[in-house]
Order: sequence, then C-alpha cells, then structure tokens
Amino acid sequence: MWRDALLVAGKDLRIEARSRVALWQVVPFAVLVLVLLAFAIGPDAAPLRAAAPGIFWIAVLFSTVLSIQRSVAIESGEGTRDGLRLSGIDPAGIFLGKAAAIGLQLLVLQIVLWAGVTFLFDVRVHVVWLAITASLVATVGLACAGVLYGALSAGLHVRDTLLPLLVLPVLAPVLLAGTKTWQAALDGNASSGTEWLRLLIPFAVIYLVIGIVLYGPLQEAA
Amino acid sequence: MRYVDAGYAAALGTLLVYAITLALRRRRWARAFKVAQADQLVDQPDADGTTARVVPGVRP
Amino acid sequence: MTATGQTARPIPRAPAQSPSPSALSAAAAGRSPRWLSVVGLLGVIALGFTVWLGLWITPPDAVQGNLARLLYIHPPIATVALYWAGGVALVGSLLYLWPRTRSLFWDRLAASAVEVGAVFAALTLVTGSLWGRPAWGVWWTWDARLTSTALLLLLEIGYLALRRVPADPAVRARRCAVAAILVAIDVPIVHFSVDWWNTLHQGGTFLDPGFKLHAHGSMLWTFLLGFIAFSLIFVWLLGMRYRIEVLQDHVGDQELEVSLAERWDEGAGLAGAGAAVGVGVGTAPPPPSGSAP
Repeated sequence: MWRDALLVAGKDLRIEARSRVALWQVVPFAVLVLVLLAFAIGPDAAPLRAAAPGIFWIAVLFSTVLSIQRSVAIESGEGTRDGLRLSGIDPAGIFLGKAAAIGLQLLVLQIVLWAGVTFLFDVRVHVVWLAITASLVATVGLACAGVLYGALSAGLHVRDTLLPLLVLPVLAPVLLAGTKTWQAALDGNASSGTEWLRLLIPFAVIYLVIGIVLYGPLQEAA
Repeated sequence: MRYVDAGYAAALGTLLVYAITLALRRRRWARAFKVAQADQLVDQPDADGTTARVVPGVRP
Repeated sequence: MTATGQTARPIPRAPAQSPSPSALSAAAAGRSPRWLSVVGLLGVIALGFTVWLGLWITPPDAVQGNLARLLYIHPPIATVALYWAGGVALVGSLLYLWPRTRSLFWDRLAASAVEVGAVFAALTLVTGSLWGRPAWGVWWTWDARLTSTALLLLLEIGYLALRRVPADPAVRARRCAVAAILVAIDVPIVHFSVDWWNTLHQGGTFLDPGFKLHAHGSMLWTFLLGFIAFSLIFVWLLGMRYRIEVLQDHVGDQELEVSLAERWDEGAGLAGAGAAVGVGVGTAPPPPSGSAP
C-alpha cells in the first residue's frame, strides 16, 4: 500500500511539476482571496489584523477546493479512472498518494499565504511551533477529506459546482480550529491554542482512516 | 539606511537575475530550435518517395 | 554534431510548404540584434550612474533623510511597470485585434511586455514597502496606489497563466489580447474605487498635479537619470523576452512539421526499423534537455 501511495503521489506531483497549474493558478488565486477579503473588511489596519487568521484559513480552504478539482480532473480523461482501477494498484494506496500530493501542495501554499498575511495585514506569528503544528495537522485533514469527496463527485457532470457545496461544510471544523489556533499563535497565547489542536488532530485521523477504508469501495461504486 | 540599501539591492538583484534567466531561456530554446530543424531536414522525403531515415541511436 | 555539420543531404520536401529553415534560424536562433545590445549597455551604464549618484553623491532629503534615496528608483520602476509595460501590452493587443494591423508580432510583444511588466510591478511593491516601513511604520497599507499595483500584478499573473495553456498561436493570441485589454480597463477602475475607499499614499514628492518640480540640483538630475535608466533596461528586457517568444513559437512549428512528416511516412508504408527519430515527436513544449550541439 505504501509503495503504491508513493507511486501515485509521485505521478501527481510530476504532473504538477510539468504543468505548473498549482503554481500559476492556485497560488495566485489564494493571494487574490486575501486581497478580496481585505477589500471586504476595510482599509483600517485594526479589523484586518483581528481578522487575519480567519482570512488565512478561508484562503486555504478555497484553495483546497481548487486543488481537489485539479486532482480529480487529472484522471477525468476517457478510461483513465478505469485504467487506474484495473492496474491492480491498491485503492488505499491511490488515496494516500493523492492525499499526499495535495497535502504537499497545500503546505507550500500555506507558506506563501503566511508570508502574504504577515506582509499584507501587518501581523506576526509569536508562537511559531503552534502555527506550524496546526497547519500540518489541518493539512492532513484537508487533504484526506478533500480526496474522499473528490472521488465522491468524480464522475458527475455537476462536479464543479457540487464539490464545493459538499466539501466546504465538512471542512468547517478545520476552519474553526485553524483560525483559533492561529489566533493564539499570533497573540502569543499557547495554551488556548493547544486546546483547539485537540479538534484538529482527531479530524485528521478520522478522515485518514475513513479514506483508507472507503476509497476502494467508492471507486467501485462510481 | 538599511532599508535603502535593501531596496537598491532588491531592484538591481532582481533585474540581474531576471536578465540572466532570459538569457538562459533564450539559449535553451535556440538549442531546441536547432535540434528541431535538424530533425526536419533529415526527415524530408527523397524525390522517389523514400525517406532518409535516421538510424536509431545516431543523432545527426 | 550541429545541424550544419550533418552528413545527410538536405533534400527539399516534395510538397514544399514550410518557409526556408535557414532564414528562420538566422533570424531566430542568432544572437541579439546590435541595437538591442546597445540599448542594454546604455541602460546598465545609466543605472550604474543612478545608483552611484543616488546612494552617495546626492545629499539626504531635508524631510525624509536618507530614505528619500529610494525615490530615485521606486517611481521609475513604478512608471515602467504601469505605463511602459502596460502601454505596450495594451497597444500590442489592440493592434493584434485590429484586422488591418494583425500580426503575431504584436501578440508576442504584448505577452513579453506583460511578463517584464509583472517583474517590474513586483519590484514596485517591494521597493515601495521598503520605503513605507520606515516612513509609515507598516510594510503595507491598503491605499489606492499600492492596492492597484498589487491587483495589477495579480491580473498580469492571470494573463501569464492563461498564456501557458497550450493552443494554436492565433487562438492564443486572440484570447490573450482580449485578456490584456480587460486588464488595462480594470486597473484604472480599481484605482478609482480604492481611492474613494481611502487614501494614505502621499502625493508625488517631486511632481505636483500642476507639474511643478520641487526637487533641485543633483537630486533632480538623478531622478531623471533613474527614469532613463529603467526605461532603457525595460526596452532591453522586452527585446530579450520577445526573442524567446519567437523561438518558442518556431520550435513548436518545427516539431509540428516533424510529426507531420512522420505521419506522412507511416502512411506511405515506410514504418518499421529506424522509426525512432530523436526529439520532438509530437510532444509539446518544454524543449528537450539540451544536448550540446
């Protein structure tokens, strides 16, 4: 299973390296979300500083949806998904591989967004380990849930409008917990931040396990 | 004054790096052009309809 | 072994459709044209003098002190990004869409201008922030000029992303030309709306709306020299980027011809041993990892 996962992850990442879609489209999109939310919340620095963690995670969430759509689209060609199924690769391995690829891209994205938020909203992360841990754990959850729901909506014609509708409510706990932990990291308040980690970790574990178990049956059913 | 130095360094450095990347890209595409040209010349058919083929492994 | 050193005879193709390869290679693969190199050299020299004057010779400003030295490079860079690059991109796109003047030259020029313009736009933001941090205490503020420049950069990245989508050159040109025009329309609109929203960015240090110049002596000369230097550099970079654009399109054409030739041969029943002809068998860009000629 692990070797298959590496195989699939490598394939997805190599496709990304060739086409550079995430680099040229998803990252600018995320920065755009930052800018638009800044427009919405107003020119004064204080409300923006207060809203910075939330803005960060909204941008991450929207970018996750884009990344999932891209990940699913890679295999939407004629017969590609059937070929993948028939190739004998362990479906759990496919799940892990795709989740790993998306997760890696999301991590890179978060680094860029972190710089953007620091720069545009005039905030500074004071408890760095908290922010990094929260991002890592949240990313696992986002990637796993994302790949799962991506597979769910994969064959459908209305995939592009349905996927956000399906997956964003599911990711809401990550938004909540992520925002709170980052708020704590910005304030320098480590203890309240760790409380919210207790929501992020189970979320990640649950969707990781569910994904490994359900991805295969999901592929059969689709 | 640090900011000023950083600004000048950033401006000059970025333009220098960009110019270098442009030069490298041009060289890469010029090479690709030459290679593609060579393949086209070799691949053209003879008057009698056969083709001067490249032996696999041997590049002109 | 180079293309010119090969031993196979260059046999003219029976259906003669492609332009003479030698003419293209001379134009496209050769070194930069002389005038472009001269422009580049002059630009670099002027830039050197600007830096020398700006950092050492000129006196510190009465109000801003040494910080004002950034204003020898920040406004010129911004001007290049906004007006020179944006102008060339807009004009090029318009001229491409206008049937009378349609030519891929304008499309390629516009695309090159957008890329170089994006670099300058990013530099504008960087130098502006480095000025703003000591001057206002913050790296960033959401005033009209900064926000519009940031949005311009994002719009240009969007254009460049659009350009990378593989397509027939004429289709891509039309698509990108329209995109460029939309960008050009959008930036003033964004600027005005953000202006109403708030203003903090100071009015021009040197220039009034009435165009009265405030600075005097060596500061003024350095400022003007900065404008000239960065403008020349822009032209030089634009020229270099344009040539890459031309080369890319020609490589694409050549690879297409090679693929067509092979399909033609296969159709004539000559498939078989020795069918593997090196590079460019119908694959799209990127180019092969360079084998040294």
